[in-house]
Amino acid sequence: MPINYKTGIINEHKNVRNHSGIFDVSHMGQILIENNESYLHKLEKYIPLQLKKLIKNRSHYSFLLNKDGGVIDDLIISNIDIKDKSYLYIVYNASRKKEDEEIFISCAPNAEKIYKKNCLFAIQGPDSINVLKNIIDIPNNMKFFDILISKYDNNEIIVSRSGYTGEDGFELSIPNESAENLITHLLKNENTMLCGLGSRDSLRLEAGLSLYGHELNEKITPIEAGLSWALDKERLEDENLNGNEVLSDQLKNTLSNKKIGLISTSKSMLRDGMTLFDNNKNEIGKITSGCFSPNLNKSIAIGYIISEFNTGNPIFCEIRKKLELVKINNLPFVKKNYKKNGSIYE
Amino acid sequence: MSEKKYTKDHEWVSIENEIATIGISNHAQESLGDIVFIELPSVGNSVKAKDEICVIESVKAASDIYAPIDGEIIEVNNNLENDAAIINQDAENEGWIFKMKISDSNQYSELMSEDEYKQFLEQ
Repeated sequence: MPINYKTGIINEHKNVRNHSGIFDVSHMGQILIENNESYLHKLEKYIPLQLKKLIKNRSHYSFLLNKDGGVIDDLIISNIDIKDKSYLYIVYNASRKKEDEEIFISCAPNAEKIYKKNCLFAIQGPDSINVLKNIIDIPNNMKFFDILISKYDNNEIIVSRSGYTGEDGFELSIPNESAENLITHLLKNENTMLCGLGSRDSLRLEAGLSLYGHELNEKITPIEAGLSWALDKERLEDENLNGNEVLSDQLKNTLSNKKIGLISTSKSMLRDGMTLFDNNKNEIGKITSGCFSPNLNKSIAIGYIISEFNTGNPIFCEIRKKLELVKINNLPFVKKNYKKNGSIYE
Repeated sequence: MSEKKYTKDHEWVSIENEIATIGISNHAQESLGDIVFIELPSVGNSVKAKDEICVIESVKAASDIYAPIDGEIIEVNNNLENDAAIINQDAENEGWIFKMKISDSNQYSELMSEDEYKQFLEQ
């Protein structure tokens, strides 16, 4: 996946917000795990959900957790039937394939990595449904985070209503032999275009979504990352879950750091790794992701600051050895536009 | 106006009456991607070749711009302040960044010609 295609990051970004755009995310991990009680029990050591109760044809945002409750990876896990057999279908980060697959295979030795034979495409933006519905059968009542099997070129494909841009959209896992046909077919719509990693990053940042290696790593728990909504609270009482005590304690007590959104007050760009200071030049935190926001026409960032810092006070960011005032902004920067509904368990 | 010359840092320089006009090459513009901001140098500053004198921010990264030769900054392209994307549209004309009064024209002669720069890019 390139950083951008011919028309550039900003144009791709705006096309997704206003129409639609297509991302080739085939680099990501995709694995199928048989829906078997013993496998699920082993996986529940790492994944903070009640895996046996997952509703069929629904997806969930979750994590693999280490012994301290730190995030080994964040992932999307779904319960689907393929050829009359029930599976957990997991999509995970390319940069964490080695760590994740070690866990998946240790829990389910016959887990099937399907990313070698299946491409993964995301079509994102308000027009995605219109671009897709003439090509692939999409039921009218399909909601955000619904997932199902559909057909293209007589091949079974996995279709989910999900994505990483804050917009409505779909992700399609399709056998390699049909992938090029599908892309060519989708691109016949002149309002859609191929989009690269650059706009993928600026879109997810505007939507306030975390990126592994930036907002998330093995030393940060989902609670510290402001993602406690994604944890099943019953599982935090379960000793079989890695880090369950740390996580339960964190839910009850004050955290040492908090995640914040920031907007630049000048034209300077906020970037990953920059240091944040208070009025008295005391270091109070760091930026974990920053970019230019085409929607706000300013630089935006996500970072962590110490919890005791009163966010009513001014914050400064060190940019090329100068301290520049930055403003706190609630996440997300741009309102999400999901077709939402549904509970997580049956 | 003299022949346009290029530096290894992807700047172009042209000279007229001992005044050098400087910008970034079209190749540099293409590899930076969408340019969103430029911190222009200060008029009146005397600089030496290779000094970092201003910064271009694109959606991808911040890049330093170096003085190609010794001299004094005498003018900056204020249009870029409001619309840095002019550099993307026309890097080697309307997208000029600053002008210098140069002190040593030999330094200019040592820069690459357009053909030499093209060869340099292919290496």
